[in-house]
Amino acid sequence: MSDLAFLSLSEASARLRAGKLSPVTLTEALLDRIQRLNPRFHAFIRVTPDLAMAAARQAERDIKGGTWRGALHGIPFGLKDIIDWSGLPTTAHSKVLAENIATADAAVSQRLKAAGGVFMGKLATHEFAIGGPSFDLPWPPAVNPWGGRHFPGGSSSGSGVALALGLLPAALGTDTGGSVRNPASMCGIVGMKPTYGLVSRRGVFPLANSLDHVGPMTRTVRDNALLLQLIAGYDGDDPGSAEVPIPDYGAGLEAGIKGLSIGLVRHFYTEDFSAHPEQVAALDQAAQVLGELGAEVREMRLPPLEQYATTTRIIIRCEAFAIHRQWLATRPEAYGDLARQRILDGAVVSAADYIDALRLRARLTRQTLAAFADFDVVLTASNMDPACLIDDAEACARLYPRQARQPFNVTGQPALAMPAGFTADGLPLSLQLIGHPFQEAMVYRVAAAYERATTWTERHPLGL
Amino acid sequence: MEKADLTRIAAEAGLTRLSDQHLEQLQRSLAAARELADKLPKDLHWSEELSLTFRLARPTGHKP
Repeated sequence: MSDLAFLSLSEASARLRAGKLSPVTLTEALLDRIQRLNPRFHAFIRVTPDLAMAAARQAERDIKGGTWRGALHGIPFGLKDIIDWSGLPTTAHSKVLAENIATADAAVSQRLKAAGGVFMGKLATHEFAIGGPSFDLPWPPAVNPWGGRHFPGGSSSGSGVALALGLLPAALGTDTGGSVRNPASMCGIVGMKPTYGLVSRRGVFPLANSLDHVGPMTRTVRDNALLLQLIAGYDGDDPGSAEVPIPDYGAGLEAGIKGLSIGLVRHFYTEDFSAHPEQVAALDQAAQVLGELGAEVREMRLPPLEQYATTTRIIIRCEAFAIHRQWLATRPEAYGDLARQRILDGAVVSAADYIDALRLRARLTRQTLAAFADFDVVLTASNMDPACLIDDAEACARLYPRQARQPFNVTGQPALAMPAGFTADGLPLSLQLIGHPFQEAMVYRVAAAYERATTWTERHPLGL
Repeated sequence: MEKADLTRIAAEAGLTRLSDQHLEQLQRSLAAARELADKLPKDLHWSEELSLTFRLARPTGHKP
């Protein structure tokens, strides 16, 4: 069983294509595991076994009949529950939308369905992707399997937990201020926030339209590239969608990084924040590993993290309040405390401050892209700390802003979080790699080289 | 801040059904908004373009 639970997407795909593994067997095994472990870790808020088994049987018939739809054919996957799947509720983990049945698939759901994927259900999130971890919602928050009582990060918390726990080999999350990369960092998996506009947001409940991204979450870098390949592409029904060519994201994974120029933004985690000593050591060690692999690693500086955080917080709160204003006016009690607080914050920000935040965003983007000009990829922290206990509200609130992900929501650049080691207590540590706009392939190339040189993505929580 | 003032501010934002607990949250929001406004750089100038700019789609198939 553990063999199938932690089989990577690419390994499972190869076995399915070769007829050495049945999609039905794989799906049944993961459904059994979900039934056993989800009551403790709450990764899913809705499991769809009937849909999953029907898709698995169809995939089995197709593959046996010689029809091969590609890397996701017959592979189980899950969706953060702000992404529409026609006929199912999209709740955003909130009482407010508990009865909200999607009438159409999101663009990304359409793409994964067409690719022959086996949809397994809806995954836990922070309420409306903004308030969590919360214990006053209709569903409990997802719990990190590393440590067993820890915060898994958010807001794509169920996606991170399902992957770390071996319930799924692939999931989608969303990232407005770091919500793919935070659970990836805390759960020891790989999460990519692609360039703004690369992946359609149609059918995804917005948090803040100008900062929202959909991104792939997997256990390995190769799997992440495969999943992005399936969801990237222009969508005329998403006003933010970019009409750009889609390269083969897996093509450079084996190319190595000799001769590449990598920037190291060390001040984010040593000056702007003083990161946990084990996290600092992991990042410095990662820089050394990349150097030993033949890259030229040099320190660089970006504007202070606080400037990115200020513009992000103002924009998210204002755009979120505009979305929620009617519900807050009529049903304020339907929100959990955390989400209500964060969304209410936008009710009292002045229009002039919002406009200035947009000016600051443009300025920071110019400055950041200029600083990137000398580098192929940039390395920095994702989180400043390993996970805290999930029921320690004070620690969760203190650690949540201690991060370096928001800069790349502000600039829209591709940014990937992946494991960079473990604490002495066995909790995941992480790093973040950032690329030029639409250069996800280069980010994957560096991430794959680092992954090969280390063993972090091969580790899984023990005894589960 | 007095409850009456918070109720008025909430009403101006269209929020007329907030409980006392929600009004306490709104009071914290006011403090957070002031803190964020103070952190905005003071040298932002009107000549700096916003990150969101209205942009018409490229015309398709139209020839003058």
